Amino acid sequence: MSECCESKKQTTCCGGTEKKTVLLYACSGGANVAEIADRAARELMFAGKGTMFCLAGLGAGIQGMVQTAKDADMNLVIDGCPVECAKKIFDRCGITNYKQIKVTDLGIEKVKGVRCTQEQVDKVVKAAKEVLSK
Amino acid sequence: MKRLQILGTGCPKCRKLAENTEEAAKALGLEYSIEKVTNLGEIMQFGVLMTPALAVDGKVKVVGKVPSVEELKGLIGG
Repeated sequence: MSECCESKKQTTCCGGTEKKTVLLYACSGGANVAEIADRAARELMFAGKGTMFCLAGLGAGIQGMVQTAKDADMNLVIDGCPVECAKKIFDRCGITNYKQIKVTDLGIEKVKGVRCTQEQVDKVVKAAKEVLSK
Repeated sequence: MKRLQILGTGCPKCRKLAENTEEAAKALGLEYSIEKVTNLGEIMQFGVLMTPALAVDGKVKVVGKVPSVEELKGLIGG
């Protein structure tokens, strides 16, 4: 989970490189927009844009996770829909250093019981990259 | 007595955080114990993603950075 100099496998250590620490969080609901958020976050991570971190841990109030988010350079929150569960978790934890995108704001309809498409994921990834570049 | 735990596998920044923390504790005249937690499994139990990190009496105060001695005084003194 954490990265350190000697162990790139699990931790990002030493504040690692001088690279900015960007943490990525995805909606973890049951509809298609959650799958899109999750897949987009993973694609961003594997593209080197940040590290996925545990939204559930923040929701559970795990103190070390909350502090990790507060000490990150940036947190990108990918919410699925206008309910904004992820953003609300951040607000409740008092974490202010975040940017949010919402899958439904990108013209994607929230539906249950259907798999998402790669085009939808690509759309979110593109929007996220734009937000992160600002 | 304050329990100060340095979370990290022993890299230069981890060592620097330990030095600064100890210096801050001494400057504040605190009674303290300082412990290095180097096992990744134990570190992850704190919910920490990046090291070095500092826990004071079990509460994580700093993650992924090395604050100055002055900043640490404020973090461990309260």
